[in-house]
Amino acid sequence: MRERETDVVVVGAGGDGPALAWRLGQLGVDVTILEAGPFYGNERWAAPNDAPGGESSTDPGDLSGERYDEQFTAREGEMNDPVAGKLRWGPADAERSPWQRAIPQQAVITQVAGVGGTTQHYYGNHPRAFVPAIDEQPHWPIDYDQLVPYYQRLEAVHPIEPAPTTPKAAVFFEGARRAGYERTDGYNVTSEGYRPFPNAILQPDERLMGDGGERDGESAGGEGESATDEYRYPDYEGDTLAAHEHQGGPHPRGAPVRERARRSSNVSLVPRALDTGHVEIRPNAFATQVLTAGGPGPVAATGVEFRDTWAGTVERVHADAVVLAAGCIETPRLWLNSGLPDDGWVGKGLTTHWFDFVAGVFDSATTETLVGQPAVEPHQGQAAGARVDVPGAGGIAVNTFAPGLTATTMYAAGQGEWSFDRDTAGEPWDTCGRLAGRELKERMADYRRTLTLICHTDDRPRQANGVSVDESTTDEHGPVPLVEWEPHPDDDARRDDLAVRAAEILREAGATHVHRADAAPILLHMQSSMAMGKVLDAGCEAHDVDRLFVADHSALPNGVGGANPTHSGQALALRTAERMAERYFGGVDEPLGGA
Amino acid sequence: MSYTQGTFAALVDAIVPETPGLASRGEEHVPGGLDVSLEAAVVERTNRFLEGESRVPLATVVAALLDAAAVELLLRRRATDGLNAPAEAFSRGVFARLSRRDRLRALGLLEGEEGAFARIADRFDDAGLGVVTYLAGSLPVLVQFVYYSEATAAAGETRSLGWRQADYPGPAEGYPVGMGYEIEAFEENEYESEMRKDDAGESEDDAGGEHESGGSER
Ligand SMILES: Cc1cc2nc3c(=O)[nH]c(=O)nc-3n(C[C@H](O)[C@H](O)[C@H](O)COP(=O)(O)OP(=O)(O)OC[C@H]3O[C@@H](n4cnc5c(N)ncnc54)[C@H](O)[C@@H]3O)c2cc1C
Repeated sequence: MRERETDVVVVGAGGDGPALAWRLGQLGVDVTILEAGPFYGNERWAAPNDAPGGESSTDPGDLSGERYDEQFTAREGEMNDPVAGKLRWGPADAERSPWQRAIPQQAVITQVAGVGGTTQHYYGNHPRAFVPAIDEQPHWPIDYDQLVPYYQRLEAVHPIEPAPTTPKAAVFFEGARRAGYERTDGYNVTSEGYRPFPNAILQPDERLMGDGGERDGESAGGEGESATDEYRYPDYEGDTLAAHEHQGGPHPRGAPVRERARRSSNVSLVPRALDTGHVEIRPNAFATQVLTAGGPGPVAATGVEFRDTWAGTVERVHADAVVLAAGCIETPRLWLNSGLPDDGWVGKGLTTHWFDFVAGVFDSATTETLVGQPAVEPHQGQAAGARVDVPGAGGIAVNTFAPGLTATTMYAAGQGEWSFDRDTAGEPWDTCGRLAGRELKERMADYRRTLTLICHTDDRPRQANGVSVDESTTDEHGPVPLVEWEPHPDDDARRDDLAVRAAEILREAGATHVHRADAAPILLHMQSSMAMGKVLDAGCEAHDVDRLFVADHSALPNGVGGANPTHSGQALALRTAERMAERYFGGVDEPLGGA
Repeated sequence: MSYTQGTFAALVDAIVPETPGLASRGEEHVPGGLDVSLEAAVVERTNRFLEGESRVPLATVVAALLDAAAVELLLRRRATDGLNAPAEAFSRGVFARLSRRDRLRALGLLEGEEGAFARIADRFDDAGLGVVTYLAGSLPVLVQFVYYSEATAAAGETRSLGWRQADYPGPAEGYPVGMGYEIEAFEENEYESEMRKDDAGESEDDAGGEHESGGSER
């Protein structure tokens, strides 16, 4: 068996792992990141879905915008198909099936393997946690104050700025104003209000910014039209308002990876981590065991065993500290499959923001009056650029997609009875539940006149919800994770509240038809399955295993109020890097969070 | 038409049927899933859902489950429209003989908590059986996603039927739709921390490792 040594081994190069690795690298600590999925946009893997390619990458010069453009086509089937898409939970090898999970309920889980993890198809939404979710809910062992310097650091480097207004956002703002919400201008959310999304997306080129008047809304290089070189780097820098975040967000075309507008961690943090000269990323490496020493009694983590997903060979990396950053499902799975102690909270307390979706269809005359164009045009402008915060209940946001994803989220992923068996008399929506047949096709024929909103519920951690392992189902990486999540009636009530508010905003803006999805559990924002304050101490080191840290969203003690979680996950990961350095690597001269 | 393909054809037809009544919105709105061989695309993906070993192709299992659910629907007197002779493109199974809406009601029994499978899984606390509910719930998602993505476009076609019906132009390099900024920059605004944790939680942190911090109630 091949064995190696380094200072720190990190499992997972997803949303948060690279943030931690970057900070450790800055502090001179050598880090190896093992990542189960492929490395897109890297010269060392020219055909990452067809052949094993190189072994690992340490040089930021390996990053290749050319490869990124080849691989990220922005076509939703090719990118997002849950079985065969490039952005899926499965091995790099396109011939193979996705990795298995036991999910004994109606649910959709969206997680993505590969460098960048699930941020490869995220929308770049980076609000801070709602202040009361940290300071007033009972879950956090630290104060909101203590996260602020780390938030600020990320806001400066990604950077994170107010999303530009686009027609669909303007329609939403108008509805929110008429529904009585006031605008809030601050990073720190304590009260209800509407605002542009704080987004980790570079601001668009001035030439894409009109004055809000007449616009022809013509695309450049759309497939239906003659492709042009317009909106390409270096002529254009920053966002091009192409709305392809979910499909990988590769714009502007032609740019180096680190200058792509949507700041997924592979674009923003991975290059910085490699720049430190102390970070190595090894894709196609699935961790299967945390190695430990000691016991009975106290145990300490000493390394990780992993399997090369192409060759099937097993290797080990020994280290002075181990970090699990494999996400809310695989981190507890790896923990449990390694036989580490379980205090009853390992994998438990999972929060999911108990999503729902509400859509409104607008007459041409209405959008002409509001925004000077005959349709909403959901496929133009940032996918999610406008929001309403409702601390205590959660948030409502514009969330738009290409047609396949629109049908999936709005009309296919509902729970319970189909729309044709539901009576909506007296409800705030005209239809509710899943659509089929003529009704579905009519709604989809209205696609360009439809504004879709998402509701993010501030669901609370509960021990019954979460991840264990299904001993009866094993794949090449051991027993597969068993995922169970059910809403509590209090969470249902919060979600209902948000759905009613969303319908009201759409109606106030002038929607003629409102539909509520009544979504089944969609697990896509996942938090708190290995919570700090439960499984982890206030430095995110395991209570029961020394030198073992967690740095992904599972370490968050709750759902951060319903705000999109990645800003908080990455902020906490930066803080954890400093705690690790303080405890095991000679300290931190200038901690971001102050001495 | 094999049993599996024919059963999936009946499913596809229930969700995205041909809709002659939509001709008023344009001829392109008439054809449905069967016109672009959506059933084959869904069968292929269902079979690829899980990796091999000795397993039977999963789509065949799903087809059998749909028939079982159709029987359950009939036995529990939930079918409102009775049985019909199956369409030419369908299998001869029970599921394919149900009306479009009854087919979806049958699917609902497979995925819902009160269907026979969910109840048996619950009773025996068996995750393996419970996975049927997950699979069933994934079917409409798969059908609608594949139909309305580019996946069913014929070779040489840039847009699928679904994209054309949604009037989606396909991926673009960008759109000049910016309207300015509602806010130029966020402020580091004041906030009240009503309830602060005692500082002990954090200072123990420096001692490295062993402590109970926060004392959170969940
Ligand atoms: C469509 C979509 C849009 C979203 N938009 C937003 C948004 O705008 N804002 C926001 O805040 N959040 C958004 N999210 C959620 C966000 O992407 C996730 O919450 C975030 O990426 C989670 O970070 P993580 O580090 O916990 O896990 P992940 O990002 O999932 O990273 C985990 C990584 O670990 C790897 N891994 C897992 N197991 C192993 C193993 N055993 N060995 C080696 N590697 C392993 C995985 O392959 C993966 O790369 C979105 C999600 C989706 C699906």
